[in-house]
Amino acid sequence: MGKLIDLANSFYSENKRLVAPLLGFSGVKLAGSSIKLAQQNHEEHFKVVSSLVDKFRPDIQFVLMDLSVEANALGLNTIFPPHESATVLKKDREFSMDDLDLLRKIEFDSDSRLLSYVKTVELMKRNFPSEVKVGAYVSGPYTLAGLIIGAEEAGLMAAREPEKLEKICAFTTECIMKYARLLLSAGADTVCVLEPSGVMLGPSHFNKFSAVNVKEIVEICHSENVDCVYHVCGNSMHLIEEMVQSGVDALSLDSKDNNVNLLEVANNVPKKIVIIGNMSPTKTIVYGNPEEVKTEVRDLLELMNKFPNYMLSTGCDLPLETPLDNISAFMETGRNYVVFSGN
Amino acid sequence: MSVLEEMQENVVAGNESKVVELTQKALDEGLAPEKILNDGFIPGMEIVGRKFQENEIYVPEMLMSARAMKAGMKLLEPFLTEAGIEPIGKIVIGTVKGDLHDIGKNLVAMMLEGGGFEVIDAGVDVSAQKFMDLVKEKKPDILCLSALLTTTMGEIKNVIDAFKENGLRNDIKIMVGGAPLTVDYSKEIGADGYSPDAASAVDLAKKLLGK
Repeated sequence: MGKLIDLANSFYSENKRLVAPLLGFSGVKLAGSSIKLAQQNHEEHFKVVSSLVDKFRPDIQFVLMDLSVEANALGLNTIFPPHESATVLKKDREFSMDDLDLLRKIEFDSDSRLLSYVKTVELMKRNFPSEVKVGAYVSGPYTLAGLIIGAEEAGLMAAREPEKLEKICAFTTECIMKYARLLLSAGADTVCVLEPSGVMLGPSHFNKFSAVNVKEIVEICHSENVDCVYHVCGNSMHLIEEMVQSGVDALSLDSKDNNVNLLEVANNVPKKIVIIGNMSPTKTIVYGNPEEVKTEVRDLLELMNKFPNYMLSTGCDLPLETPLDNISAFMETGRNYVVFSGN
Repeated sequence: MSVLEEMQENVVAGNESKVVELTQKALDEGLAPEKILNDGFIPGMEIVGRKFQENEIYVPEMLMSARAMKAGMKLLEPFLTEAGIEPIGKIVIGTVKGDLHDIGKNLVAMMLEGGGFEVIDAGVDVSAQKFMDLVKEKKPDILCLSALLTTTMGEIKNVIDAFKENGLRNDIKIMVGGAPLTVDYSKEIGADGYSPDAASAVDLAKKLLGK
């Protein structure tokens, strides 16, 4: 399957847009399943994401967004509420660097839940229509470090003991790369690095603990001719340059409610990088009606009209309660919109 | 440089041991506890808040400053109590039911403490009932509710509704915050205020209490 930027350019030359909201949990409703079941069983998981492809036919369909996969595979306590994504519990004791040696002994890449995500990707690749790209998520190196040692402790360590945190992030990167290799072997067309905790860092810390490590994940993806996407939640405007420097193929950015200025980003990043975003996942599409969704989507498409390197999406994953009619309105508006590309 | 100026500087730099040392020095020099708080810690944390809002520092640096301030406050608190110095307001803070993410809540709590408030931390995953029980028991001026997830932000509304249904809403100001929230949403659910970050939370709390 072609690279994302080539597809975006090709769509643009035909006055169309790639359309792929960050969809996952809505499939649970469609398939009559539960998040807990889907996040623990690959057949159920596949049923959920398939239902989304059948109904909405996005250009990329990701697996369910789940930041606990790698952390859980490293033995961290995780809870699985039926209708919420799995969550890693806070450690009840302070992390010591000796814990890293214990974590290294875990056969991370033979964890059954992690492998269930790999199997889901295999099923998606085997069964999805060829025009739908199969997307997989991995945790970001800094976010995974924060799950292991505690988010607050990671922040403090970044400032007080950066060399220790670098070691922990080097370890998390090794784990993420093992997982990424499995996902690539399973047939993932796109790997998206989820680095939500990265938004708390300044540019130099972000570069040191996240972007430098993401560069290694990008290299693995590129060796298989697969796209790598960087996703940072919240206002990531101060981190754009560092994200670009990591060599990723696309940036998935949060909504303007978080002060992300997509136009400014598009004006400043190289044209070979696809900008993905950024309708708010917590406002109109959840609480509004289809007409309001259509208006907001059109406004966003108009804003990005002159950029070929753009894919219409949401700023983050859509919550379970998103009305399906609103997602249909999003897709329909994106598909019917005629880009004025001058062709 | 006076001991209080030095204290401000070290709060901003996040130098915990130095802040503790300077607090002790200020007390030894016979400075009034209230003066140490008002001319040392509070202006130090105000600088931290401003630098954060202007993207000069980020969460790690803010955490260091907040921890340094907290360590100094621990030493100072008994002297403030002894001198009968009242905090400028009392606040109960917690993340709502289902939400276990506390870094934002903790930062807000520390900044509020640094702003001269008494803060009672209800912790994470707090039910509406527990918030109501705490408010009845502790009688705070403000309740701060936090949610990081899109899946739990609806619970903030449930807490506010529970306060209304139980006739407690008029007794308290409610401030909300967290990544998925917006000012529009906060108005829609009937909160008294929304804060986009920890630094702004202090200004908002003061404003709500007319300080």
